[in-house]
Amino acid sequence: MNTQIDNWKIYALGDHAIVFALDEKVDAIIINKIKSLHHFILSKKIAGIIDCIPSYHTLTLVYDATKIFTSANHTEAQLLSFVNKIMNEAKYAQTSFLKNHSTLTKIPVCYESDYALDIQNISIQKNISIQEIIKMHTAKIYEVYSIGFLPGFAYMGIVDEPIQMPRHEKPRAQVLAGSVGIAGVQTGIYPSNSPGGWQIIGRTPLTIFDPNPEVLAKFKVGDQIQFYAITKSEFEKLNEYKD
Amino acid sequence: MSIQIIKKGLSDSIQDNGRYGYQHLGIQPNGCMDIFSAWVGNYILQNNLNTPVIELHFPSSRFQFDIDYIICITGANFVPVINEKSVELYTPIHLKQNDILSMLQPIEGRTAYIAIQGTLNDTQWLNSYAYAGKRLEKGQILDFKATHSQSIIKQEHYNHLIEKIHAHVFDHQNPIRFIPGPAWKDLDQNAAATLLELPFTISPQANRMGFHLNGPKLNLSIPNAYLSSAVTRGSLQLLPNGNIIVLMADHQTIGGYANLGQIILVDLPRFAQMKAGQPFHFSSTTLENAHQLYWNLYESFQH
Repeated sequence: MNTQIDNWKIYALGDHAIVFALDEKVDAIIINKIKSLHHFILSKKIAGIIDCIPSYHTLTLVYDATKIFTSANHTEAQLLSFVNKIMNEAKYAQTSFLKNHSTLTKIPVCYESDYALDIQNISIQKNISIQEIIKMHTAKIYEVYSIGFLPGFAYMGIVDEPIQMPRHEKPRAQVLAGSVGIAGVQTGIYPSNSPGGWQIIGRTPLTIFDPNPEVLAKFKVGDQIQFYAITKSEFEKLNEYKD
Repeated sequence: MSIQIIKKGLSDSIQDNGRYGYQHLGIQPNGCMDIFSAWVGNYILQNNLNTPVIELHFPSSRFQFDIDYIICITGANFVPVINEKSVELYTPIHLKQNDILSMLQPIEGRTAYIAIQGTLNDTQWLNSYAYAGKRLEKGQILDFKATHSQSIIKQEHYNHLIEKIHAHVFDHQNPIRFIPGPAWKDLDQNAAATLLELPFTISPQANRMGFHLNGPKLNLSIPNAYLSSAVTRGSLQLLPNGNIIVLMADHQTIGGYANLGQIILVDLPRFAQMKAGQPFHFSSTTLENAHQLYWNLYESFQH
């Protein structure tokens, strides 16, 4: 199945998922459209849709074929009419969903050397002072473009060009939960201790992923995040980690 | 009422149908690698199909049962023995208190399942007993509550199902079928034909997250740089070195490599049971064919 409705390319991803795709770029307008469609589809509570995964320019619906179709015959046509129906209804509903702006979440980060393993190296390589790096990282409002790699790991962007850094060629064996890193145009926070290749410039004292079903991930795709700098002693007061 | 792990296996775990509804938060689905074999065990014991089972790889854990459980072993043949006496697969086994179950030798397949008549007394996480990365440890006690109230169904009622599922899951001759994905069109001219014509094998680098393949190197006609988007179990991801990794039950929720296609649901248990080094071919199929094949096997379990 492969179709186009307005700016959306819609195609089957194997036999149990469909993708709604816009232009392939990291773009705040695009992620907002993805988020709107995501919210719209969730609000429909469609039986047989078992997952709905937004990421950058795509929204992927995972379905249970035995629930979404009435029979195993002409499933391609059934899928196509399902998609047309969603897009038609979404068109009328979209304006109200688009107005549903996300609130800005402010996240404290300690950029001091104990937690900012790579900040000095970035400062030397990019010929920019550590104060300037912190200023750039905290001035910007980031969008969450995708969540993955680890439960709750949010890919945020877009990082200003002067502080964009490639991943380490050899990942660290362990990066502490809460560590804030940069990888190319993206910035993000490790939600749990994990091996990792991002350039670490600080650490938040806040829990980013809590397995308690009432809490889970702190961020969702389409959220807006801004970081602010705190001192080491403020970090210790707020610290929710036990390492 | 419990089952104790008295020797740790290589990589054994509790699994079920997996956890859907949380992938937008980066939480993986998990669940059985070979869901059909797991369902057969639960079907024979008249459990709900989503009842948690023990998934075994070889070398497997050794278990001691502290009450008279009824179990059923399905999937890979690792030569199961109870107190050193061999027992059959795909048949209800009436255990006695303190019986010990071990697996001797991997004769066929990669993943075996133990279904237990009853229910697991444990806390679910987000509607599933399957946890990524959590493995059975020596000394661990599984609190299964045996329910013997159900009658055991007669063998003639499930013999046909066993034959059908076993013949399908352990069919290593026919190609593994997939539906071409978004990056299929980005393969260079010869690469698509190569993928469809030449044999591949599963490399020893294969676990519940993914199976690396050995085979011809494939090239794209454009740089291998895509924005990450959702992947599924069975996604064929082309790595920058030209090799394919097939994502399996513990896959990450999103991926940024070229997505060449997805193995169809009905062939994933077959693929999951193939051993390293065994040559196989890929063939491409249609969405409708994939749905019909899946529907047909799924319906076999609904009576």
